[in-house]
Amino acid sequence: MIEAHGLTKRYGPKLAVDDVTFTVQPGVVTGFLGPNGAGKSTTMRMIMGLDRPTAGNVTVNGSSYPQHGRPLAEVGALLEAKAAHPGRTARQHLLALAATHGIAPSRVDEVIELTGLSAVARKRVGGFSLGMGQRLGIAVALLGDPRTLILDEPVNGLDPEGVLWVRNLARFLAGEGRTVFLSSHLMSEVALTADHVIVIGRGRILADMPVQQLVDGASRRLVRVRSPQAADLADALRREGGDVAPGDDGAFEVTGLDAARVGELAAAGGAVLHELTPVSSTLEEAYLELTADSVEYQAEALDDAGRATGAETGATTDGAPR
Amino acid sequence: MTATAPAREAAPAVVVHRVTFGRVLRGEWIKFRTLRSTVWTVVITAVVMVGLALMMAAIVRTMVDTPEMAEGMSQDPGLQAIGLTGTTIVSFGYSFGALAVGVLATLIVTSEYSTGTVRSTFAAVPRRLPVLWAKLVVIVLTTAVVVAVALVIAFVSTAPLLEDAGMSVDLSDPEQVRALVGCVLYLATVAAFALAVGTLMRHSAGAIFTIVAIFFVVPLIFSIVVQASDAAWTDWVNKLLPSVAGERIISRGAETDALLDPWVGYAVLVGYTVVLLVAAAITLKRRDA
Repeated sequence: MIEAHGLTKRYGPKLAVDDVTFTVQPGVVTGFLGPNGAGKSTTMRMIMGLDRPTAGNVTVNGSSYPQHGRPLAEVGALLEAKAAHPGRTARQHLLALAATHGIAPSRVDEVIELTGLSAVARKRVGGFSLGMGQRLGIAVALLGDPRTLILDEPVNGLDPEGVLWVRNLARFLAGEGRTVFLSSHLMSEVALTADHVIVIGRGRILADMPVQQLVDGASRRLVRVRSPQAADLADALRREGGDVAPGDDGAFEVTGLDAARVGELAAAGGAVLHELTPVSSTLEEAYLELTADSVEYQAEALDDAGRATGAETGATTDGAPR
Repeated sequence: MTATAPAREAAPAVVVHRVTFGRVLRGEWIKFRTLRSTVWTVVITAVVMVGLALMMAAIVRTMVDTPEMAEGMSQDPGLQAIGLTGTTIVSFGYSFGALAVGVLATLIVTSEYSTGTVRSTFAAVPRRLPVLWAKLVVIVLTTAVVVAVALVIAFVSTAPLLEDAGMSVDLSDPEQVRALVGCVLYLATVAAFALAVGTLMRHSAGAIFTIVAIFFVVPLIFSIVVQASDAAWTDWVNKLLPSVAGERIISRGAETDALLDPWVGYAVLVGYTVVLLVAAAITLKRRDA
């Protein structure tokens, strides 16, 4: 179990993590979702005692991480793919870490086999691919058979088989009653692996809910309708239990009724339809909507001519007001 | 690699012990001996120290046959300052040794930062300070053992040459013994000093530059300044420089007002080292890794 209370981290003028409070429960996989630069890694580093919080505190299994007598048995963490000296072999790196907890070399060989590194265990880490580095990081995390696992972007650099393996491993470990906290910037990844999700953007918690709830909210369908008799039609739709919200340029968006029903009601009421478009928002769209204001490095949208729309709009406003 | 979930229920429970200083020390020793660069640096240091001793011994041996050369050397002020004896010849490579162990001690901590290993290290030992003390024990003991071995080999291998030159090391002379033991102490202390600087600076290039500047460049500049200037403060700064003060324990030269007594000088170097280690410990504990 991980409990963070008012956790804050400031780097100079920049607030990387802003008064974050959450609990990660054992027995389930908790996803930590957010765009790059949202504060995921910083939060995880504070849990591990690597970064000192500016304010607030965080405990793992009841006490702050450095206070545990057998840290590797409490938390296993994968924080960066390359956290080993390139001149050492994978096995030597694991042996050195195992020695600090009196963990037997047989356990080192066990995690090497478990993470599929047997063939390269005696090769130097410098020659490892990103995926192999990631597997070594996971091997380090598993070394002390920890009650809590913290995995920062664990599937980065892994091939599809490796991605599947990490998902299965995370679910298996949670199934054993362990706490599994894994971060990703991909909604789809979290949806596939996690049971619970904490969404972070610009250092703030945007959502903390079961994944199913986020998915249900995301996959609500809406129908875009355009009609000269908009007001009458809207009333008719509302009477049938639809939810009507004004959309862009005269269209309105209906939720709670499907396109066929909207068409039938329009026909029954004699309303002319200029447009009837079913729109289904994807999981990624819901996530983008949730984090839209909190993306650290936002790409400017481009129009057809490839110019930044922001500049285009500005020119229009200056030259010929609409 | 297994695509399915690992079958770990069958495996016996993993035995994980508490972190103790002894276990951290074992981990640091594994790290130290598993890097080829460290092992090579240690071996080359010993080889060069023995080689330099043999070279100097061969030179003084030739002096016996060539009186002109002997006369030239006896009038060389630099050699007089060193006080050329059997001990100085045996420990002649200490300066090179200081450079090698200084760089090595710096790297065993800065390379953890440059490679990201430090995150793994501190995840395993989140209290951090045992890591610093374990590194200190590893580098100081390794340096002491390697330098002692190099000196013994140098002593044995130069003995016939020095005997011919009439400059045999006299182990019944406490000053000569002090100089040889002092060589071990000096290099071990330089290693501790460099470890502290590496911990404080964390960047390899900057830390190595600092060590080279403190132990080799600044003393060189001051050796010139002291000659050129009459100001008393330059004498004081010069004799309090870490290398100038610390090296007194190896020197066999005449005692002068311009330099500290051997043990006092060494104590000054130890003092700097302790202060730097305390500063390193405080910042290591406080800073984000």
